[in-house]
Amino acid sequence: MRVVRWKAVIPLGVTLVLVALFWWVFLDRAVERAVEYVGTEIVGARVDVASAEVSLGRGAVVLRGLEVTNPDQPMTNLVQSDQIVAQVRVLPLLQKKVVIDTMAVRGVRFGTPRRTSGAIQRRSPTTGQVGRAISDWANRIRIPPLNLQGLTTVVDVSRINLDSLRTVAQARSIAHQGDSLRDTWRTELGGLDPQPQIDSARALIARLRQADVRTLGVAGTRDLVNSSRGSATRLGQATDRVKAFETRVRSGVGSLRSQVDGLAQARQADYAYARGLVNLPSLDAPDLSPALFGEMAVERLKPMLYWLNLAEQYLPPGLDARRQRGPDRVRASGTTVRFPRAHELPAFLLVYAGADAEVGGEGAAAGRYAATVTGLTTAPALYGRPTRFAAQRVAAAAGPRSGSIVAILNHVSAPLKDSIVAALDGVGLPTVALPAAGATLALGSGAVQMRLARTGENIEGSMTWRSNNVRWVRSDSTDRPTDRPTANQPIGSPAWAQDLLWRTVSRLTSAEVEVRVAGRVTGPAIGVRSNVGREVAQALRREIGDEVSRQEQRLRAEVNALVEQQVQEAERRVAEVQTQVEAAVAAKRTELEQVRAELENQVRELTRRLPVRIP
Amino acid sequence: MLVLLKLLQQLVKTLNSDGTPGQIAAGMALGAVLGLTPLINLHNLAILGAIMVLNVSFPGAMLGWALAVPVGFVLDPVFDVIGRRLLLETPALTPLWTRLYNLPVAPLTNFNDTIVLGSLVSWVVLALPVYFLARWGVGRYRATLYPRLAQSRVFQAVTASKLYNVYRMFRPD
Repeated sequence: MRVVRWKAVIPLGVTLVLVALFWWVFLDRAVERAVEYVGTEIVGARVDVASAEVSLGRGAVVLRGLEVTNPDQPMTNLVQSDQIVAQVRVLPLLQKKVVIDTMAVRGVRFGTPRRTSGAIQRRSPTTGQVGRAISDWANRIRIPPLNLQGLTTVVDVSRINLDSLRTVAQARSIAHQGDSLRDTWRTELGGLDPQPQIDSARALIARLRQADVRTLGVAGTRDLVNSSRGSATRLGQATDRVKAFETRVRSGVGSLRSQVDGLAQARQADYAYARGLVNLPSLDAPDLSPALFGEMAVERLKPMLYWLNLAEQYLPPGLDARRQRGPDRVRASGTTVRFPRAHELPAFLLVYAGADAEVGGEGAAAGRYAATVTGLTTAPALYGRPTRFAAQRVAAAAGPRSGSIVAILNHVSAPLKDSIVAALDGVGLPTVALPAAGATLALGSGAVQMRLARTGENIEGSMTWRSNNVRWVRSDSTDRPTDRPTANQPIGSPAWAQDLLWRTVSRLTSAEVEVRVAGRVTGPAIGVRSNVGREVAQALRREIGDEVSRQEQRLRAEVNALVEQQVQEAERRVAEVQTQVEAAVAAKRTELEQVRAELENQVRELTRRLPVRIP
Repeated sequence: MLVLLKLLQQLVKTLNSDGTPGQIAAGMALGAVLGLTPLINLHNLAILGAIMVLNVSFPGAMLGWALAVPVGFVLDPVFDVIGRRLLLETPALTPLWTRLYNLPVAPLTNFNDTIVLGSLVSWVVLALPVYFLARWGVGRYRATLYPRLAQSRVFQAVTASKLYNVYRMFRPD
């Protein structure tokens, strides 16, 4: 019987040709789908490509009509491009690696409307993971409300719930830990109990005191001395065990003590919590600015953090095996693992890309822009150079407007070092609603400066918005005079609060908002300062400073009254642990050391009386 | 309906008379890989070529494929575990995967996917048992069940179908 079926060779050849033909015919569509799939996976919203044209012989890929949906606004495109022409190296494709030497992006537009929603119906577990993490961070940020209504009415302290106070929870936890540790340590001390050894050593000491060398003889004395030395060694070992235990107890008690010290910090947080609960504002300018511009700051920071976190996920340092979810298919997806190796090509590399964008109209952003990206790769360690992104406004439609953004992502080796510096003039700034003042602030056109630096897991930086032509618009329909206080309005009433704020802010013709960011890149803390916040704080201080101080004192007294008992209880329990366990352990250790010293002393006394030396 | 009839015809013809039990079993063992591993992969193209060129039963391979598809779906979690163990949790194999990953063509097989590798390795392990089991099963069938089936009208109708001629091209010699 023959092994090879020769007559099937021709059908096989035909089949292979058909497969190749099928692949060639549908290559454009495959590339289109691949770009859409990968883009959607990264962005977390639909990425559409109108058509793709691939010429393998020339290594040219042309994508037309790229639309990337804004994940936060499914009916708006984050970016849209008319045409992308890429020069791709062909041989690395055999290694399933995409190396693009040059890419030209034409007709870039931002924030264009979509015809259909770009939201994803069925998200995979990994789709838009970074976006969700950033949204979670934004939702966790507590922006203090600015509500001046009811300021001078009696603050209802009964709304402060005992169980909501952080100090109480921490104090209870400390007390519980103290009890638990005390019981555990008592049991352990019981297990260590050196009393039998101490008693035995004392009996030996008594025997040594009465021992007569002549009666015992050399052999009897030697036995007694050896027995005593053995007992002394055991006492030494017991002392070491008790010392080790004592160290642990001290460390534990120290930890409890530091937690007790931390209660002061928790109490400060409770003061702030109580103040927020009764809408009593702090009159410090930095505290008012977050209330006024906090939401705007978070919204503007979200994209920055999103892209930085995304860069970390897709441009990791080092050469470790990288895992990612396998492709979507009817079967399970599994996990795809990539194994980068030194001196080889990365799975994706974009050596150079240039983009031209033109924003039409007479608006603040109108003009021509140019951007370049160099060294964008999934394995920066293999490429050996940082990714650099630079964009600048090359021509503005109106006014002396300029702008540039430079971002350098150095992921060649850990720790990651990213920096973004941006200075944009003539940028359309947002309109901020100030419900407390019954007004909206249109920041108009102004300047934005940004500086963000990331080293490892930490980020630090600031963003500043400046505008010299702000416009205040009263959002309510009441037609009150805006240049003098409302007559006969009781302090603390809604009308009084709105008028006070309106009188304060409507005089301002310029606004400067500075947002400082610091902390872990996945969820940094933010601080907001603004001249608007300062002005409002000063006005409030003038008008109602004394009253707010009085109410705040009342609140603090109420919080103190609620937490004091728990704090004292926690302190008492910790002190109890310290006195009961630590003192008991110290006493045992001292007793062991004394008995051992006495035993060794008696042994020396006995051996001194011997005519011969006992080894 | 036509497809079902064709499959039935292939099954009957295969089991009854065409090719030795060894050829059918070899076809089934090779065809099983098409069902056990995710279909759209380069290695399956090579397997398909082997099924066509090697003197094994083509319908046997189709039968092996059909039988292995549901098994593949059910065992995906197991394949994932095996693939994960081999790709990620066996440091001794990492140099091999790294070398393969950086060779031309090899990455196109998707060997670095836990399901693909796990299922392929499982098939390599199971291929011989499948072969021997299938060979024994076909032998037993022909000795016991076939003589009675050959008398039935359904059997005669299926074997008389015109589609049989197409199938003959790949019939083992």
